[in-house]
Amino acid sequence: MSAGLKLVLLGAQALTVVSAILVAFHPNILYASVSLLATFAGVAVLFVYAGADFLAGVQVVVYVGGVTILILFAVMLTQWLYEMRLRDVGVKLLMPCILGVLFFSSLFKVLGGLAAWVLARPPEGLEKFAALPKTEPIGEALLGAYLLPFEAVTVLLLGALVGAVWLARPK
Amino acid sequence: MREYVEMATGLHGYLTVGAILLTLGIVGVLSRKNTIGILLGVELMLNAAAINFVAFSKYRAAAIDGQVAALFIILIAAAEAAVALAIILRFYRLKQTVDSDEANLLRN
Repeated sequence: MSAGLKLVLLGAQALTVVSAILVAFHPNILYASVSLLATFAGVAVLFVYAGADFLAGVQVVVYVGGVTILILFAVMLTQWLYEMRLRDVGVKLLMPCILGVLFFSSLFKVLGGLAAWVLARPPEGLEKFAALPKTEPIGEALLGAYLLPFEAVTVLLLGALVGAVWLARPK
Repeated sequence: MREYVEMATGLHGYLTVGAILLTLGIVGVLSRKNTIGILLGVELMLNAAAINFVAFSKYRAAAIDGQVAALFIILIAAAEAAVALAIILRFYRLKQTVDSDEANLLRN
């Protein structure tokens, strides 16, 4: 990887982390939702660098274009139009932050060892795999080895959509 | 310096970003009272899981299976967001608030 590409990856990681911090801590829920958009975009860039081009596209279409807009609509429908109070009142930060720091430090230690173990045993054809376009193998996997989970997810999606419409119906 | 950049652009970087997103998601879920804010935290956690799947799919297996798992995560997260927001809208119509402390209809 060239130096410029590495710089872009580091920038994407920084964007992801900073916007995720805003998502978790910003008192205004509307700003938190908008910064979730930046997090999703940063994760899409990370996917590209991990050799997951198709997933990056899905991430942009489903998350950046779908879920974030849905959340923004919900924010505006429940708070914006009726009252100008968007603040998340009564947030208790101390205990969650302590728990988070403890959790992250232990996770960091475990993952560091795991990553060293994995990197010491590189799989065959890593470079070749990373450069491969992934749409065709994913399609073959979905209609081959993963046919049953694929069908289950389609039924789940149908159920979720019908359920969402039923739940949100007018009185 | 050079080796740190090498680590951050490799598997270590992916795992660290994933761990940070997971932790921030947990902190967001625990600290927020607004139900939409809790949903944002859950989305962060699901994205962290997807990052881990994709990273190990490249560095451990060099196979497509991890990416298929990440695809399923994205699909299920979308379905979950749709249902959760429908529930939140319904709850708001009932209680005129999205505060999770007010969600006590099933108590007693």
